[in-house]
Amino acid sequence: MSEASAHALEHHEPETSTGIPNKKVLMWAFLGSDCMFFGTLISTHLIYRKISATVGGNTLDVRDIFDIELTSFSTFILLASSLFMALAVSAIHKGNLSSTRWMLFGTIIFGAIFLACQVYEFTHFVHVPGNELTLSSYRGEPHVFGSTFYVLTGTHGTHVAIGVFWLIGWFVYSFTGKMSTADALDIECCGLYWHFVDIVWILIFPVVYLMEYAF
Amino acid sequence: MATESIKYLTPETETKLKSKAFPRPHQNTSGIVNWLTTIDHKKIGVMYGLAALFFLILGGVEALLIRSQLWNHNMEVLSNREYNQMFTMHGTTMVFLVIMPLSAAFFNFIMPLQIGARDVAFPRMNTLSLWCFIAGGITLNLSWFFTGGSPAIGWFGYAPLTDTRFAEVIGDMGPDFWIFSLQILGLASLLASFNFITTIINMRAPGMTMMRLPVFTWMTLIVSFLIILAFPAITIALVELMFDRTYGTNFYDFLEGGKPHLWQHLFWIFGHPEVYILILPAMGIVSEIIPVFSRKPLFGYGLIVFSGAIIGFMGFAVWSHHMFTTGMGIVATSAFSILTMLIAIPTGIKIFNWIGTMWGGRIRFETPMLFALGFITMFMVGGFTGIMHSSVPIDAQHQDSYFVVAHFHYVLIGGALFGLFAGFYFWLPKLTGKMLNEKLGKFVFTLMFIGFNVTFFPMHYLGMIGQPRRTHSYNEGHGFETWNQIATIGAFILGVGILIGVYQFVTAFFNKKLKDAGKNPWDARTLEWTLSSPVKEYNFARTPIIKSRDQAWENNYGPKENHSDKVPLDDHGVHMPDRSWYPLVSGLGFLGLVLGLLFHQSVDANTGEILRDYTYAIAGGSIAIFGIIMWSLEGPAGYHLFPKETEE
Amino acid sequence: MKTLLNKIQTLSYIILPAFFSFIGGCSRIDHKQSALDPKGLVSQNQYDIFMLSVWITIFLFCAVGGCLMYVLWKYRAKTPEEAMEVPPQSHGNSKVEISLIIASTLILIILAVPTLQGVVLMNRVPDPNDSETLEKLGLDRSAIDDAITVNVTGKRFFWIFEYPQFGIVTSNELVFPASKAVRINLRTEDVIHSFWLPKLAGKMDLMPGQENFLWFIANEEKIRTRKDSDGNMTLVSTEIAMPSVFNGKMRERIFAKQKFTDEFEAVGGLFYGQCAEYCGNSHAYMSFRALAQTDDDFDSWVKRFQNSQNPNLQPGTYNPEEEYQKDSIVQFADPALGDSGTREFRAVQAIAKGQAPNLDKKVWKKAHSDDYEMGKKLFSSLQCVQCHAINRTGLGSKGPNLTLFGIRTSLAAGWMRNDEENLSKWLRNSNEVKFGNLMWNGEGVDDDHPLRNLENDDEKVNQLVTYLLGLK
Repeated sequence: MSEASAHALEHHEPETSTGIPNKKVLMWAFLGSDCMFFGTLISTHLIYRKISATVGGNTLDVRDIFDIELTSFSTFILLASSLFMALAVSAIHKGNLSSTRWMLFGTIIFGAIFLACQVYEFTHFVHVPGNELTLSSYRGEPHVFGSTFYVLTGTHGTHVAIGVFWLIGWFVYSFTGKMSTADALDIECCGLYWHFVDIVWILIFPVVYLMEYAF
Repeated sequence: MATESIKYLTPETETKLKSKAFPRPHQNTSGIVNWLTTIDHKKIGVMYGLAALFFLILGGVEALLIRSQLWNHNMEVLSNREYNQMFTMHGTTMVFLVIMPLSAAFFNFIMPLQIGARDVAFPRMNTLSLWCFIAGGITLNLSWFFTGGSPAIGWFGYAPLTDTRFAEVIGDMGPDFWIFSLQILGLASLLASFNFITTIINMRAPGMTMMRLPVFTWMTLIVSFLIILAFPAITIALVELMFDRTYGTNFYDFLEGGKPHLWQHLFWIFGHPEVYILILPAMGIVSEIIPVFSRKPLFGYGLIVFSGAIIGFMGFAVWSHHMFTTGMGIVATSAFSILTMLIAIPTGIKIFNWIGTMWGGRIRFETPMLFALGFITMFMVGGFTGIMHSSVPIDAQHQDSYFVVAHFHYVLIGGALFGLFAGFYFWLPKLTGKMLNEKLGKFVFTLMFIGFNVTFFPMHYLGMIGQPRRTHSYNEGHGFETWNQIATIGAFILGVGILIGVYQFVTAFFNKKLKDAGKNPWDARTLEWTLSSPVKEYNFARTPIIKSRDQAWENNYGPKENHSDKVPLDDHGVHMPDRSWYPLVSGLGFLGLVLGLLFHQSVDANTGEILRDYTYAIAGGSIAIFGIIMWSLEGPAGYHLFPKETEE
Repeated sequence: MKTLLNKIQTLSYIILPAFFSFIGGCSRIDHKQSALDPKGLVSQNQYDIFMLSVWITIFLFCAVGGCLMYVLWKYRAKTPEEAMEVPPQSHGNSKVEISLIIASTLILIILAVPTLQGVVLMNRVPDPNDSETLEKLGLDRSAIDDAITVNVTGKRFFWIFEYPQFGIVTSNELVFPASKAVRINLRTEDVIHSFWLPKLAGKMDLMPGQENFLWFIANEEKIRTRKDSDGNMTLVSTEIAMPSVFNGKMRERIFAKQKFTDEFEAVGGLFYGQCAEYCGNSHAYMSFRALAQTDDDFDSWVKRFQNSQNPNLQPGTYNPEEEYQKDSIVQFADPALGDSGTREFRAVQAIAKGQAPNLDKKVWKKAHSDDYEMGKKLFSSLQCVQCHAINRTGLGSKGPNLTLFGIRTSLAAGWMRNDEENLSKWLRNSNEVKFGNLMWNGEGVDDDHPLRNLENDDEKVNQLVTYLLGLK
């Protein structure tokens, strides 16, 4: 961003009726909508959870498949990434570019670890000897648990992946020398998205994983 | 004010991110490039409107084919599969490609003018949603040319009829086209709604408090919220269906553990708010027109706004009344029955208030007012039959009969379409600067009103004597013939009326004989009527400072302290963002992605294995992502204008 | 002005009566499938609530619409000058608004109470021990105690009716006793269908993977009520209103009407139903019939079906070691019917051991005509038996059960009269009659069924028709 435009920026800071920047309102509206996306997926999973236990004469106990230690670990990693994200946003507001850059990097790494865990988890579930769970079957017989499980967690994984690519975009941008506090708003929106994706996982983890051990 | 982003360049500085592939067209570009790259909410509104009118005619032709097939018993105008495709396409087209985009056309054109904004919050995103809508329309209608032809599943595509297991043509692609076109149309609606929400919340002129917003803008806001909260349900339902059809998941496959019931719930959780998405904009338009032609402010403004919000909110709590006959049990059906009856109350309030508005006024019967009155009466009939359906025992006879067909056409044509036509007659002078021919307008209204009632009133009776909907044929001896023939005649009258209306709207843009409209031809009340017709590209030469609810009226008739002020222009003038190619590029990318996904599957002729080739989908997706990245890098940029204070 | 009004007045004297007589002529309410002509308890209840809602809405329409008209007339701008006047700018009146809200709520309560009662009635057969409710509904305890159950299975595009209490199965024609409650359990084997019997019960969907329920009970008096030529209501005898099905009387009586379209007027006990949920290509053709019977006739019908579907009662092959009583039927080879052709023989008198069927000896008689026997043979050789059960319950078979097909009144799921002409049309090319039907198209879409070669084979078609209509 050139000096001249930075000057113009000060002058043209758009005044909104609420005082909240447009982009932030947009982001909140989007997140509200995204809640409904996940709400629909989670309710689909919950509706089928009990029904799916006995389809096709095969009693499914997902505890045989789940690797709860690994998932707990990746949950922790994802939550920790939110801390990095928050620090990155705070750093850019203060104009501390190098801190921003490395906090972004931390978020990216932790997000990537989470994704790697999920990729491992998926490939593992498909191949658990004697308990293969695929999109459409369990132990080679038609089953609905795989459908709801993979589509729900897969949608969340896609959200994380989009977030990671977005963050990588900022990370690369930070080396161009153009990044300034003027970008704080955009990074903050990115952060909102990232925190939202985390919060959704906080819901998915108990509903999809922990509940199988409780009820 | 009214810039998209804070990355803003003054006119002296050249933008550094000049793309060689797609240089930004000059501000004075004309011809086709002007329309393809525009980010002006007014031009976008016009394109939405014209495309929707085209689809209105297309869907109308489908309707007339349906009516011709039902002229007599055992007719053979269409084969049964063709008939089933017709009603599916008619329903889908009218809901997603006509009523919604027509509403979007008015949202785009009118809403920023009503709140004193120079554009919507994100002009380029607005363009993208236009192109996504057009891509969706193209995708849906491409289905005619591929295996199996158009979908024959009904506009709500009940599972498991959509399952490949029950396809009636081998390799039927119709439902796939339906799924993907709805997805991309959903994307268009979502983007537009985020934009409108941000615009209304954030870009109101100084003094334009929420309770001073014109009712049409209020309805825009409510509808936008309904869209962003309701569309996710159908998006996910469609994703699940797509997975079922393509990757063999079992969401709706009852033979493998799924529940077809789930589709109905997910569809109607979207589908019922959708009904209000279709009708609330028309209510907003009527709430603007009636005060103007009665020369009185809206009676009970607060209550009208509040009841609109209540209708929207309760719209999420009544979806199961579409499913009374699916065996949900006594408790669920009773609860949804009572809730559905309750929703009649806020709807009734609106009607009382419109009558209250006219009470003591000076009523002029010009075309917009005629359509608005047609709306009130026809919507009342549709609402009353709606109350009947809310009663489960009555619904046990009405469900899926022609009675229901009559009901929702009363709401969607007598309601939504009449309201939207009222909007056209009311606001087209603002778009074109020319008054429409009043006589022709009244003629169109007469044809439409008569044709509509002749078509759909007999259907109440047909439903009661046992004609089920979605049957391509009926046997003799049911007594259906006479009334179906009357309905068919009515449909053609209605069709002629609509055709003349559309002709009138389209020619209004270049018919030189029409009278000039001037700023405020109707002596109307809201802010857009303080501007010249047609509206200048920057809308407001000076941002107005709003002092009261009906600002245009107050400026003419109100006390001095209610007259609006103007924010003086600073030395940067009016900032106008530049045109951009990237919304179009991204839109084309999305179209490519969708088509790539549609055709990614092929069957190996020798082994019978399914082959998957994602090359084209990835290519399309990459174009879309490229467009979005370039878009964010190019920034809004822009140029400055220094209009005189009177030039608005 | 005056003359114009007069003219309009005179014109209206001519036009209005003509208009109303036209409307009246076209708008009979007792059509085949009319929900406006209820003949049972449940549908009567639905009709009553509907009429209540109609009166409520007519009242509201007149009140609100009248108010609107009054306002439009009273406050219209009469002159261009008046159109430019500025009336007082009032913004609302909360007292008026609140009272209108309360009024509309009250009106809704009027509709809500019978609605809730109706929901319970539709979904639950009254408890036979609850004499108070039974009395209120005017039901006999025995009507509930002896209620019959029918399991309905919908398939594209026909209906299977199974009577679990009696162990019999039929299709497309539901026979039921008029004096008893009928519980209907609804299932489907493919897509969603909807069971709609307007004059008796309203409708309920057949949901895959779920069993739904509805019930009805016919009102015998209403079935017997008929309008005579003077327009007076009279009660006709049960034999006329509900001819027996088991011996073909019902079929005869309704076929006595010249036209298919007049059939439903011939008797009161013939009801028409239809699939009401879009289910594919030939959804329009997925109709069915319900035939009301007196208790005795229903019992006889059940008995006939039980006998016909009892594998132990089917004629066996002739056994030389056995003595046969008069009228016993055996199967025995008959070279006249071609290779391995067998024929059914009836004993004219009691027959001693070892008297093999032989037409010369006059002690055995052909049980059926040659065409019948040839048709029977074709029925197996053309693979019809693979999908259609004829002398067994055949639950799970792909096609409709054809037991006692000769006493059925209709063909192709209630679409046509079941006579020689229609049946031969149906056999020659069923796809032309009912596009997309399973028999023509098979499970796969391009299945080449032997039936497809019958189109020009008059002889075979005649034999099949004789056989099928001979099943009585």
